[in-house]
Amino acid sequence: MKDEAVISESWPRTTLRRFTAGAIRQAVAGFINSAAWTLAGFSLLLIVWGAFSGISQGALPGPLATLKVLWQLVSHPFYDNGPNDKGVGIQLLSSIGRVFIGFGLGSLVAIPAGVLTGASETCKKLFYPLVQLLRPVSPLAWFPLGLAVFKHAGEATIFVIFITSLWPTLINTAFGVASVPDDHRNVARAFGFSRKKYLTKILIPFSLPYILTGLRLSIGVAWLVIVAGEMLSGGIGIGFFVWDSWNALSLERVMSAILLIGGVGLLLDRGFDLIARKFSYA
Amino acid sequence: MKTKTPSPIQTTQYLQVRDVKISFDTPKGQFTAVRNINLTIGRGEIVSIIGHSGCGKSTLLNAIGGLVKPTAGEIVLGGVVVDAPGPDRGIVFQNYSLLPWLTVYQNIYEAVDSVLKNKSKAEKAAQVESFLQKVNLWGHREKKPSQLSGGMKQRVAIARAFAIHPEVLLLDEPFGALDALTKASLHEELVNLLQLDNQTDTVIIVTHDIEEAIFLADRVVVMTNGPEATVGEIVEVPIPRPRDKREIVQLKEYVEVRDRLLYLLMDAFAVPRRPAA
Repeated sequence: MKDEAVISESWPRTTLRRFTAGAIRQAVAGFINSAAWTLAGFSLLLIVWGAFSGISQGALPGPLATLKVLWQLVSHPFYDNGPNDKGVGIQLLSSIGRVFIGFGLGSLVAIPAGVLTGASETCKKLFYPLVQLLRPVSPLAWFPLGLAVFKHAGEATIFVIFITSLWPTLINTAFGVASVPDDHRNVARAFGFSRKKYLTKILIPFSLPYILTGLRLSIGVAWLVIVAGEMLSGGIGIGFFVWDSWNALSLERVMSAILLIGGVGLLLDRGFDLIARKFSYA
Repeated sequence: MKTKTPSPIQTTQYLQVRDVKISFDTPKGQFTAVRNINLTIGRGEIVSIIGHSGCGKSTLLNAIGGLVKPTAGEIVLGGVVVDAPGPDRGIVFQNYSLLPWLTVYQNIYEAVDSVLKNKSKAEKAAQVESFLQKVNLWGHREKKPSQLSGGMKQRVAIARAFAIHPEVLLLDEPFGALDALTKASLHEELVNLLQLDNQTDTVIIVTHDIEEAIFLADRVVVMTNGPEATVGEIVEVPIPRPRDKREIVQLKEYVEVRDRLLYLLMDAFAVPRRPAA
């Protein structure tokens, strides 16, 4: 028994191997490799884009013209010349704000509803048909309802995001909760865990990775929907900016907005991925 | 619950399994794992249950643990019919069953916290520390189970079961997944822990390892083959405890018990051979 303890003392050294010179070199090489491929991909995009721009004889703005406009936009992001002329930073922040409010409210409903759906057979029978019916509906279809109830386009957009954020989170949470292994349940039973302890020490920790996956999917879809929602609602936001730019016949601004929307979406996704990694226990 | 002055009945017939049958509903109809199980175990006795895979020995243990309800018959522990898990029984599961998101310390603490509700935080913490020390894992208390070897994980699981001070310890193939050397050291560790507890613990170990069954137990319960398995024979191990692994293998008694068990498992209750394809 002493011997085994001594042998087992030495095992953590293996984790150190991750940080040896060879491993660092490998990581750097890997990074350079993937950066090179990314760069190649972007170059390809620029070539195709330029070609199309050339074919369309300038109807579609080329990469250079777009980047010039994009640079103008991002170098003065927060100017405010009245309701119809605001910097792109203000537009983006307002969209992000709405996404987070709608997404936050949606998550507050979806996570508990998901826990109930996953934990109770009755709730599953009750909620699942509803979810299946409503999930395929484009969230924009809820926009008129939001307008009717809230009388304001801004609130209606938040309502649309709220609806959007429900489904992926609810479904993933329910799946996570329903798949708590018997082994873990038996531990709770054998040692007489209270309901609270079961919830906080087994059910939530086990389902957390599933919940976070749901949240990540939700915020992704919410970010997709906000652009369309704001095109409908008008007023302010990156979606409105896109529509406004089209009305002002500036496709350079539309293209710039597309690049910015993609960038923000990527950042949101990476952010949630980072959080999810923090909470993965495997 | 601890009884202050046990009556003789509670001492010699502390745990009784009476005519127990356990069936499960499956899509293909009812499946009977075990039937006609009768077993009487005295207080402080160590009993091994041995049998081939699928003989329902784990199912029987889970029934004693209160995790599975007998379809017929009853299990009586200290005069009370078992119908749910309870703090009087500590279970060591086959696959460790540690919670992967908790540290070694927390895994034991949560169990202690659940069972010893009335004790203060400091008392519970002291309890956890003392058992982690006993299994030589105090230095590893901040590690997660995924950072431990199989033998260490099982020591955590054993410490967890002991730390709630149960009267009955139920071990479900506790060392089945471990290599022979780790297994041997854990056997001795288990025996030491039982010694420290003044040998009042009643222990039931499910195993498929003949040497393990003899080394640890006063009696070895041999199961017939499943489905519908039952107790085939109960073999006494007439060697006083505590035992020394190196010494007992030389004893005539040991050889006799081992030969008998080998005969029962390999011949009398052998797994029927499949006809050649």
